[in-house]
Amino acid sequence: MSEAFHDYVRGRSDDIPPGYAEPGMRAYRHLVYLGASQMVEAHFPAVRQELGEDAWRTLIEDFVRQSQWTSHFYGDLKDEFLAYLARQSA
Amino acid sequence: MTGLGYRREMSDWDLSAVMADFFEVAPENWIHRDRDPLHRLISSGRAVHLHGVSLNLGGSSTLEPAFLQSLRELMTDLNTTFYSDHLAASGDAHQLYDLFPIPFTQAEVLRVSDRIKQVQDALGQRVSVENTTWYTNVGDMTEADFLSCVVERADCGILLDLNNIAVNHKNHGGHDLASFVAHIDLSRVSYLHVAGHEFDDRFGLYIDTHSQPVEPETAAMARHLHQAHGLPILLEWDNDVPTLDTLNRELACLKPFMTT
Repeated sequence: MSEAFHDYVRGRSDDIPPGYAEPGMRAYRHLVYLGASQMVEAHFPAVRQELGEDAWRTLIEDFVRQSQWTSHFYGDLKDEFLAYLARQSA
Repeated sequence: MTGLGYRREMSDWDLSAVMADFFEVAPENWIHRDRDPLHRLISSGRAVHLHGVSLNLGGSSTLEPAFLQSLRELMTDLNTTFYSDHLAASGDAHQLYDLFPIPFTQAEVLRVSDRIKQVQDALGQRVSVENTTWYTNVGDMTEADFLSCVVERADCGILLDLNNIAVNHKNHGGHDLASFVAHIDLSRVSYLHVAGHEFDDRFGLYIDTHSQPVEPETAAMARHLHQAHGLPILLEWDNDVPTLDTLNRELACLKPFMTT
C-alpha cells in the first residue's frame, strides 16, 4: 500500500493510485469518513445539528484529511477531535 | 460449537437465553473498560475470545509493547489463549480505524509475516490472522496464495472468514468459497467467521456490513467444515443488531442438522 493510497483515503489527493480501482478507493474513503463522523457525532451530537449537513461534512472531511491518529482505541477520536478544534482556533 | 460476536447492545439481554457456546469481543473495546459483563459470560461456562481490529499488521506503525502487554493482561483476565486480528492494515504509520488491503506480493508476505512473528514473540503464543474483505487491491498473487504464504512463514493460525471470501468472490471473481477453502491448510484454522453483507450501489460493490443474515451457501460451508473438521463457527452481527430471537434463529441455522 503506497502513500498515494492513504492520501486518497484521507482526501488529501483525488488521484487514484496506480493499479487500484476507483469504486473501491471511493468505498475506502467513504468508510473512513463514516467512522470519524459516527464517533464524533456520538460524543458531540449537537454539533451536527447546529452545523447542518454540508458544514458537518466539510468539518469531518477536514478532520480526516489532517489526521495523524495514533491510538489503538477508536473512542479516543473524541480527544483527537478536540485537539483538532484547538489547532484550528489557535 | 457455535459462537457469537458480543456487542454492548446486548449488555441488558438475558444472555443465558442466547444459543451460543462461546463469545468473541474486540480487545480494544475492553482494555480500558469494566469487564463485569464478560466475567458473567465466563461464569456461565462460555469462553470469551479476542478478535482485534487495530493491530495494523499491514501498516508501518510500530507494534507497541504497551499495547501488546495490555493484550496479554486481558487474555489472562479472560482466561483465553485465542487472539486474532486481521491480515490487513488499519492505517499507515497512523490509525484510520478501518481495514485496508495488503498488496498480494511476495515482498509483503515477508514484511507482514515478520510483523506477525514479532507479535507472537511478544505475546509468547500463537495468534491467528483473518482473511479480510477488500474492495480494490494490487499484487501478482491470489489472495488464497498470499494468505497461505503469510501463515506458513509466520507459523500462525488462520481465522477463516467465509463471508469475506464470498464477498470478495462477488466483487472480484477469483476463488469461490469451495476453491478458496481447498487452498487453505485447515489444520491452521482456529475457527470460522460467518456474517451477512449488502450491495451498495454507490460503489457497485458488496460491502461487508455484518448487518444481514448469513447466506445459505456460506452457512452450508460452515456446517460442512464444522462436521468434517470440527471447526467452531462464530456469527458476527455488528450493525443493526436484531432481536435475541432472530440471532438465535441464525445460530440455529449454523448447527448441524439433526438426522434422528
